[in-house]
Amino acid sequence: MAITQAMCSSFKGEVMQALHDFDVAANTFKLALYTSSATLDASTTVYSSSNEVPNSGSYTAGGGTLTNQGVTVSGTTGFTDFADLSFTSATITARGALIYNSTNGDRAVCVLDFGGDKTSTAGTFTIIFPTPDASNAIIRIA
Amino acid sequence: MSAQGNSSVGRFMVYTTDNRGHTPEELANMAMEHIIAVSSAAPEPIRLQAEAYKAKLHELIVRYMKKAVEQDRLTLCQQLEKSGQADTANIIRSL
Repeated sequence: MAITQAMCSSFKGEVMQALHDFDVAANTFKLALYTSSATLDASTTVYSSSNEVPNSGSYTAGGGTLTNQGVTVSGTTGFTDFADLSFTSATITARGALIYNSTNGDRAVCVLDFGGDKTSTAGTFTIIFPTPDASNAIIRIA
Repeated sequence: MSAQGNSSVGRFMVYTTDNRGHTPEELANMAMEHIIAVSSAAPEPIRLQAEAYKAKLHELIVRYMKKAVEQDRLTLCQQLEKSGQADTANIIRSL
């Protein structure tokens, strides 16, 4: 069991098949949280509820809906960003997350490794995405 | 001929709380993640200047966020008092 941060390999092919659209209000992307018992890595192809954290507060099975911030090309890099995501009044212990396309067959996009268990107790669990630029954005293709 | 590219997943952060929501300081830290990124590889004078600017901006955001919370609570207390719930208003005022 391990969660390894990665861009999912299947996603790389699916981008070339136009199966993911990150424009504002285009496809719906979601972020699901997982316990340390989950196995998630570059070979992950779709969302699975196996070892997902249980419902608590505003967190429900399938995770939270991300708000697309659109696609930008800067120099030779294309990137996209999402608004930060919070789960409130939640008791959660998560080791990582999966971003997936819920519009299009729950296809996996990327795996986020928290580096250790992150816990909220009757509190807020927030994922902060990085500065949206060519060097830092959450999803970049150079 | 061939064309090659790399795909990357960026560095994100996770903030959690116990028995409360986020404080203005925590929210300001989150905002800063979106406003300015300072590369550790940047030349020192530029990096120091950027870090100083970041710290000033953080201080300003915290100050105004606290004012926003204070003003919102004032509005809430006024509405509660108007509807005869002075006790609840007092609890909120004491937070």
